[in-house]
Amino acid sequence: MPDGTVARFRWRAIVPLLLFLALVAVGWIVFADRLGRLAVERVGTAVLGARVEVRSFAISLGRGSVTITGFVAASPFDSLRNLVEAEQLAADLDVLPLFERKVVIDRLAATALRFGTARTTSGFVRARPGSPTAGVLANVKAWAEQPALQVPLLQLATGKLSIDSLDPRKLRTIQAAESLAARADSSARAWTEALAGLAVRTTADSALAFAQRLQGARPTDLALIRDARRMIERLKQTRDRLAALERGVKAGTSSLDAGLAALGAARARDVEFAKSLVRLPQIDAGAIGWLLFGPEAVARFQRALYYTQLARHYMPPGLAPRARPARTRRAGLAVEFPRERALPGFLLRDAEVALLVGSDSAGPRRYSGRLQGLTSAPSVYGRPTTFDIRAPTVSADAVFDHVRAIPRDALGGTVRGVTIPAIALPGLPIRVVPGTGDLTLGFALYGDSLRGRWEVTAPRAVWHRDSGAAGGVAADLLWRVVSRLDRLDLTAELGGTLGHPQLRVRSNLDAAVSEGLRAAIGDEIAAAEATVRARVNQRADSTLVPVRTRVTQVQAEATAQVAEARRVIDAAQARLEREVRRLTGGIRLP
Amino acid sequence: MLVLKLLQSLVKALHSDGTPGQVAAGIALGSILGLTPLLSLHNLAVVALILVLNVSVPGAALGWALFAPLGFALDPAFDALGRRLLLDTSALVPLWTALANVPVVPLSNFNNTVVLGSLVSALACFIPVYFGSRWAVRRYRETVGERVKQSGLYRAITASKLYGVYRLFRPDA
Repeated sequence: MPDGTVARFRWRAIVPLLLFLALVAVGWIVFADRLGRLAVERVGTAVLGARVEVRSFAISLGRGSVTITGFVAASPFDSLRNLVEAEQLAADLDVLPLFERKVVIDRLAATALRFGTARTTSGFVRARPGSPTAGVLANVKAWAEQPALQVPLLQLATGKLSIDSLDPRKLRTIQAAESLAARADSSARAWTEALAGLAVRTTADSALAFAQRLQGARPTDLALIRDARRMIERLKQTRDRLAALERGVKAGTSSLDAGLAALGAARARDVEFAKSLVRLPQIDAGAIGWLLFGPEAVARFQRALYYTQLARHYMPPGLAPRARPARTRRAGLAVEFPRERALPGFLLRDAEVALLVGSDSAGPRRYSGRLQGLTSAPSVYGRPTTFDIRAPTVSADAVFDHVRAIPRDALGGTVRGVTIPAIALPGLPIRVVPGTGDLTLGFALYGDSLRGRWEVTAPRAVWHRDSGAAGGVAADLLWRVVSRLDRLDLTAELGGTLGHPQLRVRSNLDAAVSEGLRAAIGDEIAAAEATVRARVNQRADSTLVPVRTRVTQVQAEATAQVAEARRVIDAAQARLEREVRRLTGGIRLP
Repeated sequence: MLVLKLLQSLVKALHSDGTPGQVAAGIALGSILGLTPLLSLHNLAVVALILVLNVSVPGAALGWALFAPLGFALDPAFDALGRRLLLDTSALVPLWTALANVPVVPLSNFNNTVVLGSLVSALACFIPVYFGSRWAVRRYRETVGERVKQSGLYRAITASKLYGVYRLFRPDA
């Protein structure tokens, strides 16, 4: 080395540097599997929001393969149940994209996938505040807590019969009776005035006086005879008018009789009206399904919404840069910059999935499905993620289309002859074990619009009542009804939007429970109706009796008065005619 | 122990056989290690440079030891700078997008706000740190360096095992 110059390179450090790099390589060989397992568990747990565990992880960059055995993902909703469990996941890895920090799996084979298996330790993890999964979970919980999805507990114990106060002014009987009484008084006054207007007594007295005068008259007294005949004509006119009045009185009394008869009909209507005031507990048949199975239906749709929202978060549409929380030395953001015609950060091109479904006496049945295009950047990949299974007793498919700005997600499936988990009735110590049956779940989220359907058909359902819990009157009544049922047909339909969901639940229990509950409270209804009938009769009778008496009195008085007037007129006319005949000798004079 | 190692680094760097320029270059490279998150790909390159280039390794250790606390303290500022560069400067988006699709580059975590902010800051400080350190080392050696060399503390430090390791990587004068 020349004097006065300083060498730029320290060549003897090359060897330690190479040793260092070799050490790194050895470290990779020794720890790659362990690091890979930790990475899968850590990332999986963060993405799912529940514990993800891997028994072993083996990576071979030379062969481009990754093999995971004993993969278990816990359910975010049930601490002692797994969402999915796989015996082995074998992936063919594209190695070159790893240098771009991209994971591209050309082909994945998942064997012995099981869903909903039990676990012995809790699968819940404490969500980091501000993490995407915690945000999605909070959103979904808030969605399920909307008033439209809140199901009240069945509370027949407090749903006693009540009789609203009976307002006498609303009873038609009393109104009609008061009207009839007024009409009777009015008729009586009219008839009295009409009778007085006829001046029957005066006319009869004049006729009798005239007959007295005829006793001393001679047959030649023609003027007197003529006057007598005029008097007779006057008497006839009075009698005719009296007859007309009599007809009027008869018609009037008939009308009053009809009014009395109408009071009976009014009373019957009043009794019906009063019975309508008997308030029954809420046992609307349409609400029974909602009350009994609403919470379970909401829970099913809530889970579907959670996974859909997770997919939307981790598979967002568009090509805009995306920031996600990432910690190095302190919390920061990692920004992804997707680019068209490039590889996405994560891509699973094709996965063959072998599932085990059911655990009845025949053991689990094997099915195979296919998952394609699972990616973190759908707009980059350009195709939706699809999943489907087709088998004689199982059909399921799912589409997560986030290629365009408005995401469209749909998933659904039907499993026939599967063991359906027990359903507990909310707030009651009763649960139904549907046993083996058919299960259908469909859920679609197009933009903001929801559509869902959950169906359970169980022909051999068994009901269980927990002996420890009391449950009250509602549980007793319900148990009496459901314990006789041996099948369960349940349909829940979800509609509306995320902000305004609508849920309808129907079941074969609806009508049966409603009728059973009505029968159970039949005696109480009869007693209540008898009470209101007595109240109506009491109020009606207090008004009807005097009215009936008054009408009868008016009728009798009017008839008697008219009859007396007629008798007086007839007597006067007969007397006068007899005197005239005696005077004229029966000869009719001009 | 940490304080002792820091002292060792300080003493060895200032009294090493290297020129003030070699010590300053080591400190400047070490400052990158200290200011940016250590477990980043670019720091592997920095370590390689420290080993291969004829700079003072104790100087690099000193730079790392001095700037690491500063890095932790300035992380919020690095995060803010990284956000500004990655998210708020739309003109740079094509650059980041291109880099994100270049092999190996994404492994550097450049798309992390803290990493990018601290790396940009460290690179911006590299030249000032180099010249500042070179001036400071020269002034030290001209003034109190010789007296420190005669002190018992210096002899104790240079007698430690670490000094033996250092001798393997001391700069070629």
